[in-house]
Amino acid sequence: MEKNSFLKPRTMSAVKDFVCVLPALIFLAVFTYYPICKLIQISFTDWNLVSDTWNYVGFKNWVWLFNGSGTKHLLNSLRVTVLYSIGELTITLVGGMIFALIFNRLNKTFSIMRAIVFMPKYVAMSSAAVIFLWILNTDTGILNYFLKILGLPAVDWLGNRNTALISVLMLTGWRAIGYGMMIYLSAMIGISKDYYEAASLDGATAAQSFFKITLPMLSPTTLFLFVTTFISSMKVFQSVDILTSGGPYRSTEVFVYTIYKYAMEDFRMDRASVIAIAFFVMLLVVTASTFKISNSSVHYDS
Amino acid sequence: MKKILAVVLAAAMGTSLLAGCSGGGSTGTGGAAAQQTQAAGGSSGGEAQGGTEAPAADASMYEVTEPITIQWWHALEDQYSQTVEEVVKGFNESQDLITVEPVYIGSYSQLNEALVAAHAAGTGLPAITVTNTPYVAEYGAGGLTEVLDPYIQASGYDVEDFGAGMLQAGQYDNKQVCLPFLISTQVVYYNKDMADELGVTVPEKWADMDEFLEKVSIVNNGTTERYGSIVPGWDQWYFETVFLNDGVKLVNDDMTSTDLDSQAAVDLVYKYKEWCDKGWIYWANGTDASSIMRQNFIDGKAFSVFHTSSLYNTYVDRCDFEVGMAWLPGGETTKNQEIGGSMLLIPSKNDQATKNAGWQFLMYLCGKDVNMKWAKETGYMPTRNSVLKTEEGVKFLEEKPAFQCIFDNLDLIKPRISHPGWNQMVTIWMNYLAEIMIEDVDIPSKIEDMVEEINEVLEDA
Repeated sequence: MEKNSFLKPRTMSAVKDFVCVLPALIFLAVFTYYPICKLIQISFTDWNLVSDTWNYVGFKNWVWLFNGSGTKHLLNSLRVTVLYSIGELTITLVGGMIFALIFNRLNKTFSIMRAIVFMPKYVAMSSAAVIFLWILNTDTGILNYFLKILGLPAVDWLGNRNTALISVLMLTGWRAIGYGMMIYLSAMIGISKDYYEAASLDGATAAQSFFKITLPMLSPTTLFLFVTTFISSMKVFQSVDILTSGGPYRSTEVFVYTIYKYAMEDFRMDRASVIAIAFFVMLLVVTASTFKISNSSVHYDS
Repeated sequence: MKKILAVVLAAAMGTSLLAGCSGGGSTGTGGAAAQQTQAAGGSSGGEAQGGTEAPAADASMYEVTEPITIQWWHALEDQYSQTVEEVVKGFNESQDLITVEPVYIGSYSQLNEALVAAHAAGTGLPAITVTNTPYVAEYGAGGLTEVLDPYIQASGYDVEDFGAGMLQAGQYDNKQVCLPFLISTQVVYYNKDMADELGVTVPEKWADMDEFLEKVSIVNNGTTERYGSIVPGWDQWYFETVFLNDGVKLVNDDMTSTDLDSQAAVDLVYKYKEWCDKGWIYWANGTDASSIMRQNFIDGKAFSVFHTSSLYNTYVDRCDFEVGMAWLPGGETTKNQEIGGSMLLIPSKNDQATKNAGWQFLMYLCGKDVNMKWAKETGYMPTRNSVLKTEEGVKFLEEKPAFQCIFDNLDLIKPRISHPGWNQMVTIWMNYLAEIMIEDVDIPSKIEDMVEEINEVLEDA
C-alpha cells in the first residue's frame, strides 16, 4: 500500500486545487490587485506623469478632493454620471422591453427587423461616434437639416450644455436598445405559455397579463440588465471622448473621463488616483446594494 | 486548509501592497536611462528638474557610427503627408547610417499623451518627436527632454540664426530643450473683397474693435446674418495675447497666482460678452468648433476669424474670395503676439546611439532648406534670420504677400508663458470663458471661482 509522505490525502487534494487556481490568482494579483495597491500608494504622492520623481504628500490629494477645488468637480462628475446612467438604464430597460414586446413575433419579417434593430451593437463605438459627430453637426448635420425642413431652429447639439448629454445618450440608445430587446426577447420566449392560458381563462386583459405575468417573470433578466448596464454606464468613456471631450464646460464630464483628463491631459496621476479610488468605492457600494435589495424582489421561478 | 489558503492569499496580497508602497521617489525607469547616459560619458539622467544633463561638448560622443533605424513622431495631418514623405526621403538618401521612419500619432494632444505614457514606461519612445510650444516648460521641468546644449556645441550647429523669440520658446531653465520646427503665430484672416466693398480695415488697436465690429456685422432682429469675427474659444492661444497686451499678466510674478480677476481682465471679459450678446462675434466652442468657424468664414457668414498663420494656404485654397491677413489688434502700448506651432525634442530616456541619430535628423529638419520647403508648401513661417531679413525673405514675400504683416512685426512674436501648471490653468480658463460667453451666468461669481481654481493649480504645479 502506497503511503503519502507528509500530507494527508485531503490536504494534498486541496493543495492540488490551489495549484490549479494559482495561475488565475497570479494574474489577478498582478493585473488587478497590484494596480489597486499602486493606485492607493499614488494617491498619497505628488506624482506628475512627466516627472520621474515624486514625494509622499500625506492626505493632500484627498483634502483636495473632499475639501478643495476637486470637490465640485467630483460632484459634477457624479451628477453627470448618474444622469447618464439613468438615461442609459431607461433606454435599455424600458426601450428594450417595449421593442421586445413589439418584435416578439416568430416570423421571418420580424426576424429581419430584429436583426436591423440589433445591428448597431456590432458597430464599433468609435466608428459610431464619428458618424454621430456628422449627424449632430450644427451647420451640416442631417438632424438639423430635418429640423430646418420642419421649420425649427438649428440646435447646437454638442455645444450646448442642455443638449450635449442628450446627444451622447442618443448614440448610446441607438446602440443599446437592440441589445436590451434581444435579452428580453430570449427571456420572454422562456416564459411558459401555461401562465398566459390560465390568465386568459380567468379573463385577464393584455395589460394585466403583462404586469402580473410577463414583468414579474422577467425580473431576473431585468436585474441582470440593470446591473450590467449600470456598471457599464458608470464606466462610459469612448462616446464622451469622441463626441464632446467632456464639454461644453464639463457638462458631460463623466467619472472615467475626469480620471482620464487628470491623468493623461493634465498628467496629474496623483489627483487622478484619488478620483479613481473614490469612484471604485462608490461603484462597489452601489453594486453590492443593488444585489442586496434585489434578492427580495426578484422571481427566479420560470 | 482554508486557513492555509487564507494565509497564502493574504501573504500574496501583502507582498503586492509592500511592493507597491516601497520605492519612494522614483518610477524606476529613469535609472536605466540615467545609467545609459552615464555610460555614454554624461552626468545623471535622473535629475528631474530641468531635463537630462547631457555630457559636455565632445564631438565624438554624438557621432553616429553604426547603422540605426529611428522613429520620428509627428502630428502632421494628411495635407502635409507629401511634404513629410519628401523631407524624410531626402534625409534617408543624404547619408547611409540612419533610416528614419515617420509615424503619424494623431493630434498634438494624442501625441503628448503617447509621449508622456512612453516616458513614464521608459520604453517605446521615438528618437525624435514634435511637440507643441506650450508643453516645453512642463517637459523640461519633468526631465522628459534631452538638454540639447552639448549637442549644439559639439556639432557647431548654428542656432543663432533662429529668431531670438523662437529659440527662447524652446528653452527651460535657461537650457535649450527643444528647437523650433514649424512655427506660426496668431493672425486675423479677413474677407478682403468684403473689406474693400465696405471700405474697412482690421483695426490696429483693440479700442477700435467696437466700431469695426458694428460696421462689418449684420444682425437682423437678433439673428446674426454675418459675424464680425469668430473667436476660437477652444484654444486660449487665440485670445490670450489680447489680455497680455491689455496689461493682464495671466501668471503673476510670484508664479503661484493669476491676475485674471484684475479690472483689466474683467473688463475684457465683459467686452467679449457684450459682443457675443450683440451677435457681432461668435465664440466657437466644442468638438466641431474649428470646422464650424472655418465653414462660416468660407461661406461668407463671418467677416473675419482669429486663427493660426499656418492655415494660410488652407484658407486661400478653400475661399472663393481674396483672403486678407492682418496682425491682431493690439493694446494701448503693445501689440505682441506669441509663438505657436511645434518644436522638436529628443526624449531623454533613449540610449545615446538613438539620441545621436535623433540629433542628426533634428539638425536636418530644423535646417534652412527644409524649413523653407515647409514655409513655401504650407502656411508655417520661415524660422531663420538669414531668410527673414535677406533677399530670400523678399522672394518669399513675393510669393506670399499676405505674410508682410508678420514680417513687419517679427520682433513682436514672443515666447509662450512658461509655467509647469500652464496647461491645467488654461483648460480651466477656457472652460469658464466659454460658459460665460455662451450661457447666461453670473459673471463675477464665475470669475471668482475660476481664479480660485487657477490659483490652486498654479500653487500646486
